[in-house]
Amino acid sequence: MHNEIAELINSKLPEAKATVTNPEVGDNSIVVEAESIKAVCKLLKKNKEYSFNSLQVISGVDYTDHIEVNYFLNNLDLKAPRQLQLKTKLEDRINPTLDSVTSIWKAADWQERECFDMLGVTFKGHPDPRRILCPDDWTGFPLRRDYMAPKVYNGMEVFPESKMNTADREFKVRQKMIEKAAKAAASEAEGEE
Amino acid sequence: MQTWDLEDFGEVKSEKLKSELLTVNMGPQHPATHGVLRVEIKTDSEVVAEAIPHIGYLHRCMEKHCEALDYRGVIPFVDRMDYLASMSQEWTYVLAVEKLLGTEVPKRAEYIRIIVAELQRIASHLMAFGTYALDLGAFSPFLYAFEERETILRLFEEVSGARLLYNYIWIGGVWNDFSDEQLKRVQAFIKHMDKEVDKYNNLVSHNRIFVERTANVGILTLEDIRQFGATGPVARGSGYAWDLRKVEPYGLYDQFEFDIPVGEGEEGTVGDCWNRYMVRMKEMKESIKIIQQALDGIEAGDIQGKVSKVIKPPKGEVYMRTECPRGELGIHLVSDGSKNPYRLKVKSPCFTHTSMLGHMGPGQMIADFVASIGSIDIVLGEVDR
Repeated sequence: MHNEIAELINSKLPEAKATVTNPEVGDNSIVVEAESIKAVCKLLKKNKEYSFNSLQVISGVDYTDHIEVNYFLNNLDLKAPRQLQLKTKLEDRINPTLDSVTSIWKAADWQERECFDMLGVTFKGHPDPRRILCPDDWTGFPLRRDYMAPKVYNGMEVFPESKMNTADREFKVRQKMIEKAAKAAASEAEGEE
Repeated sequence: MQTWDLEDFGEVKSEKLKSELLTVNMGPQHPATHGVLRVEIKTDSEVVAEAIPHIGYLHRCMEKHCEALDYRGVIPFVDRMDYLASMSQEWTYVLAVEKLLGTEVPKRAEYIRIIVAELQRIASHLMAFGTYALDLGAFSPFLYAFEERETILRLFEEVSGARLLYNYIWIGGVWNDFSDEQLKRVQAFIKHMDKEVDKYNNLVSHNRIFVERTANVGILTLEDIRQFGATGPVARGSGYAWDLRKVEPYGLYDQFEFDIPVGEGEEGTVGDCWNRYMVRMKEMKESIKIIQQALDGIEAGDIQGKVSKVIKPPKGEVYMRTECPRGELGIHLVSDGSKNPYRLKVKSPCFTHTSMLGHMGPGQMIADFVASIGSIDIVLGEVDR
């Protein structure tokens, strides 16, 4: 199925440069260029032979040098149930931008908002580009690999030392675990060098 | 006593009266929102003009936590997403890891998984039934539902050690075996439950007051279902016989015989609150059928397959989806070959269904909007993760 769909995309939209990944482990997927994602989605929804009438989820993955956005499309039709993973790579990690597909599937509205909230991918043409899970004044994108939890939030210190119950048994146990993990990480780093 | 005449207030001219939309916040702590959900409602008298759901009050960023855990350690976190259907959540995650590893699961473990998942479906639907009646002002069905749910929770507590958050389905099998005595109790329970569902139908489903409140309210057409990607009882209530247990069978479901109940419009129209509710009642009967077949087919044997001590799946990514009580739960798992998952993305059915509230709200009375929220049966722990 994947090869036929990739051929179809390439014949209609040559600039999408669709390729099929055949990994040894896991599912096949189709990779397309980021600029043509909206056109590809529109084509796949309208196409009669391989139509995908609903969008399930948009899943972003941060690979530290690029961000990958996966669109899981679904055909909610009992006669021809099929599922497709559409992949696109965003080389620009500072300002990752994609075209919004909200006009094609309404499901994309909240999914794109979540992707923006968690990974900082901006969707051009989104009707309501706000954060969804984090508060509006949150800084940073939690699901990026290099994200550090803020030490101060709204002028309040997170985990202030004066408020920590250091006499608590649980606190000591946790502190020991943190020390152990730091030690293990340090020894691992030494081993690599 | 002074009496008032309307003329005392001066002339009331309708052109002078200003009308504007009133903003009402339903939630974040409102009993009808099934958790901490805030719906910002703009009302025109008692009619909803606009409804904007605000979520995130239970956001724990469990997906970030999972990046620092090993593959076995993720299971308790997955439990805490949908705390009313933990067994189904665990099973989805475990199936995703098993798909990456290529693990074979012993037959007895597969049967046990089906038994617990279907019992969980009954428990979850009982909760949906009880709280939905409670939303609409009927208190006693809630107590009926909890009585039966308690039997299931007691049984789960015996086999797994916990009442709600089980950590029972493990990679490669299940943690603990069912004894013959416990299987007999499951048998007795489903026999009893079959009659109970009929009782609920007599008590609530065709009750005139209940039907008046739910029939022809919050109608979702097939186009809405496709546009929003809704699944589970919400899609089936609109007449889509889409069930992953039939469409994409996982576990041993392809060997079982059962029907997929869809909304047929005995009361109201297909796709309204009553039909979504009725699909759940019918599904309980189907679950009972499945459990009966599993109890007939279960054989003695191992409950845990061979899995290495430290789980390090090969590099790759999978997407696994299963039919949970509330709809399709999907797990996108990316492995980089180390002992921690590189990325774990959860497609939550409740998240999808909550996004439909903004579409369902406009044009309804506020009381009907409460009926609409209850009928899609959301758990906010799963919406926010």
